[in-house]
Amino acid sequence: MRSYFNIHTIWIALILLTLSTYAMGALGFSGLPIVIVLLLTAAIKGVLIISEFMELRGVSLLWRVIMYGWLWTVIIVIAITYAITI
Amino acid sequence: MNTAIIEQEPKLLPGDLAIWFFIFMELLVFGIAFISYAVVRVQNEDMFNQFQLTLNTELGAINTIVLITSSYFVVRAVHTIKNHGDYIGCSHWLYAAIAGGGVFLVLKSFEYYDKFSAGISLSTNTFYMFYLSLTMFHFLHVILGMIILLAIAIKAQRGGYSASNHIGVESGASYWHMVDLVWIILFPLVYVMR
Repeated sequence: MRSYFNIHTIWIALILLTLSTYAMGALGFSGLPIVIVLLLTAAIKGVLIISEFMELRGVSLLWRVIMYGWLWTVIIVIAITYAITI
Repeated sequence: MNTAIIEQEPKLLPGDLAIWFFIFMELLVFGIAFISYAVVRVQNEDMFNQFQLTLNTELGAINTIVLITSSYFVVRAVHTIKNHGDYIGCSHWLYAAIAGGGVFLVLKSFEYYDKFSAGISLSTNTFYMFYLSLTMFHFLHVILGMIILLAIAIKAQRGGYSASNHIGVESGASYWHMVDLVWIILFPLVYVMR
């Protein structure tokens, strides 16, 4: 029952994080600190989807390394490219 | 003598292993595409910032919420069959998820119509080339995901899955979550970050 409740909470958290991303864009926020916040928001959403929606929490380390490794590699490389330009 | 340490075995991947290799391959392709966008943007920062403002961020955000909600429906479908063996309920959640995918496609089509009627195409400039190719590649994955979910929903409706046999539902669910996961990065990257 507890995990069922968590799925609702995670769904709402994902929507709230999406709205915060939209708000930052709508308000015209830009610059490296904002980009970092947006990327961290995307990363948190990605972690929630991988661990809770895809149910990869507790699976073999190899699979988690592949999935989280993909997520963080993409996020960090994007952050580096924005750090170069901004 | 009874000092045996009880070690918890790691969980198995949900769904079929084959779908996971497919998912990893898809993620690799999308990952390279995202990094390519970011790297090319370094040389074209002003152009990317200028034309990014022409995108419909409202529709992008609504579509993100639609996909997340559709993914949530798929989670409910998996829980319904896994915990209760309710295949009819499972199929209803899957149909709701497919409807979510349909809403995503309709909204995205409005966005494309707006751009195409303004004469924008892949060859307009580098930003639109990335915007159109990334989102259209994702668009095709939404269609494929909907087809997979539809096949699973029909089988579920006919009693093809149960509490002890639901590997197909988990496989389709994992693929659909991958489609969601990719959009979670695509939306801020292409529509918002500047």
